Amino acid sequence: MSMKIKDIITPFSAWSNIVKKPVTVKDPFTERPGADRYRGFHKNDVEACIGCGSCEAVCENQAIDLVPVEGIDTKKGDSGLRPLVDYGRCCWCALCVDICTTGSLTMSNEYTWVSDDPDDFRFIPGVDKKPWDNNEKGWTNPGYSLYNPERVNMEEIEPDERITNFIEIVKGYSKEQAEKEADRCVSCGICVASCPAHMDIPGYIKAIRDGNLEKGLQLLYDTNPLPEICGRVCTHRCEEVCSVGVKGDALAIRWLKRYIADNVPFEDYKRILGLDSLPEAKKHIAIIGAGPSGISAAYYLRTMGYRVTIFEAKEHPGGATMYGIPKYRLPMEMLEQEIGLLEEMGVQFRFNMMIGREVKFDELYAAYDAVFMGIGFEKPYLIAIEGEEGPGSMQAIDFLREVNEGKKPEIGNHVAVIGGGNVAMDAARVSRRLGAKVTVLYRRRIVDMPSDPEEIEGCEQEGIHIEPQTIPTRIVKDEKGKVTGIEYLKAEMVDDPKGRRPKPVPIEGSETILEVSTVIGAIGQEAYYDFLSAEWLEKLKLERGRVVTNENMQTSIERLFAGGDSVNSTADAISAIADGHRAAKGIDVLLSENE
Amino acid sequence: MEKIIQHLQGAFDVKAVKKQRNDLYFVTVGKDQAIPAVTYLRDAEGFSHLVMITVADWMEKGVFELNYIVHNYQLHADISICTNIDREEATMHSAHHLWEQAWTYQRELKEMYGIEFPGSPRVDESFNLEGWDNIPPMRREFDTLKYANETFFPRPGRVSHDPATYMKQKLYPNE
Repeated sequence: MSMKIKDIITPFSAWSNIVKKPVTVKDPFTERPGADRYRGFHKNDVEACIGCGSCEAVCENQAIDLVPVEGIDTKKGDSGLRPLVDYGRCCWCALCVDICTTGSLTMSNEYTWVSDDPDDFRFIPGVDKKPWDNNEKGWTNPGYSLYNPERVNMEEIEPDERITNFIEIVKGYSKEQAEKEADRCVSCGICVASCPAHMDIPGYIKAIRDGNLEKGLQLLYDTNPLPEICGRVCTHRCEEVCSVGVKGDALAIRWLKRYIADNVPFEDYKRILGLDSLPEAKKHIAIIGAGPSGISAAYYLRTMGYRVTIFEAKEHPGGATMYGIPKYRLPMEMLEQEIGLLEEMGVQFRFNMMIGREVKFDELYAAYDAVFMGIGFEKPYLIAIEGEEGPGSMQAIDFLREVNEGKKPEIGNHVAVIGGGNVAMDAARVSRRLGAKVTVLYRRRIVDMPSDPEEIEGCEQEGIHIEPQTIPTRIVKDEKGKVTGIEYLKAEMVDDPKGRRPKPVPIEGSETILEVSTVIGAIGQEAYYDFLSAEWLEKLKLERGRVVTNENMQTSIERLFAGGDSVNSTADAISAIADGHRAAKGIDVLLSENE
Repeated sequence: MEKIIQHLQGAFDVKAVKKQRNDLYFVTVGKDQAIPAVTYLRDAEGFSHLVMITVADWMEKGVFELNYIVHNYQLHADISICTNIDREEATMHSAHHLWEQAWTYQRELKEMYGIEFPGSPRVDESFNLEGWDNIPPMRREFDTLKYANETFFPRPGRVSHDPATYMKQKLYPNE
């Protein structure tokens, strides 16, 4: 083998490279920035993050743990947890960033970082401070979503058509629509804490996705025996904190609940819920009031094996849901169906039985092992202005009850509704359906109205005028005593020095008379306690008109439990249902202890 | 570029053209026309450089979409020839005779997706995953999380929390 001349020269020719710029990088003297959209170490805006854990759930490598962080409190809408990333597992795929429901989690373009301690490569982005925290380059969600941010539209009857009748406005989801809507849920469970009944919302939404409505129904009844009602009129606090709602539309949790309740044949309920063979009746519980809290208490007490008798002063069960909620929001059949289930379970209903009139509270307390009181808020606050008495002026809850009973109160052609809550909105929308022009007078601004926004929107769609910052002063009547108008003062909003919400202060000389034929008051209600003797009332601890209970809904009278509007300040159906469930468990604890 | 696309459309059965930018087009052809189209671009239109061969797994459609991205140094432009192949019987004509580096891409696609390239040199040798004994890991039916759990031990002391359960403990422990 002969040596070539090239082989001799080559080693020397390499020396010529000594004056060239090296192609290697002198670390750490040469900067090596990542590309603008490089996926480097994470950043997290911990103020915006709500700890929903979608990043953890989507991670294919289990690189993320959700951990408590000092100084970040757990509260409604925020778990207080934050993601901790293990870079020994992270593959930098950025799925966690792409699914992040708040957009708080991003990646910097920093990828060079050296530490001798392997544990340094596990940290909580945004909490454990890092040099790249303010690095603006890197990966952020480029604008697409791994879930659909838009809610499946719920079909409704058009406003022009709906004001002519009391047919239910909302049509309900089809199977396809419900499954599509359910598919948007990230199953984080942030919503559960905000639901007064702590329903297993991710669980029943999953049941819809899986097409397993029987499982869905069981999950609903675990915490709520009135899903048909809540599926229609719930105040849906869950949706207010829905993580998907941070960047997009919140899940239509209420409509999904309704979808399950509406689509399981009612005749199958008993079998699905395992109510065919309830435990042998042991003790006997009396329930005052067949509203949501009483019905809820009855259901759970019965499943625990108690005998239950419900005393209801009116002719029908349902309480405020039956008498107060207009039929375009909650058709009567829904209530009847749910009540039917309780009757089949052996709960006894005794209608037209008013405690204090037909039967004394003393007798009830003596005859039953425990008493649950869900009496609601039946007594309206009066506006307390001149002319409030007499025909042409009425209270919203009386008006709504009469309409639901099938009567047609005489209201004339123009109604003024005083108030800004859901009851006021109901009264306004019902008056509209009876053919009247309607004006709502509210003390504060529209943004201050305690009513659900969708009710205000419904009013506006139906041509109801809302006149904010108005303070009624007098109901004007003609010489025959017939209502002809309402006089009010315009108000200006004055900031409260203590930082509370601004107050309406009447503007002097701004008296205005609005010509109306009827005035309906809807400024709030309180409870009637007239059925209790002075002796009992002395024992029963009340605070601002509400019954005080412990966490088991037990009142200051040992075997008397209470719940619903007369106890909780949220005064909605779902809170009442939750109270009833808690009371049932509380009664069971008390009676088991006493055995 | 538009002329080149027109030439392609004249010479091949082009199923779709997508203009991403002035200097980047995606042109979809049938499986048997992909290599001829790439050869044509290389030999007749000056796209002398193979940028890469890559694939997207469209599991729902039952296909792999192969992309042959080629570059023209004079025009500073790229064209990607795309073609769909059956996902279950994933076999594609080899491009190794056009560019030597195609060997390596094809070896990678064989390993990561299980796509066969008959005739491609060393295509059955391991590329990255020596000793791999599972289905090709980039196929979407591969359960990465399950594999990670079974293969890598959890770090001692690791704890995570479910948001709903944690919120119950913190906000309403007794209910």
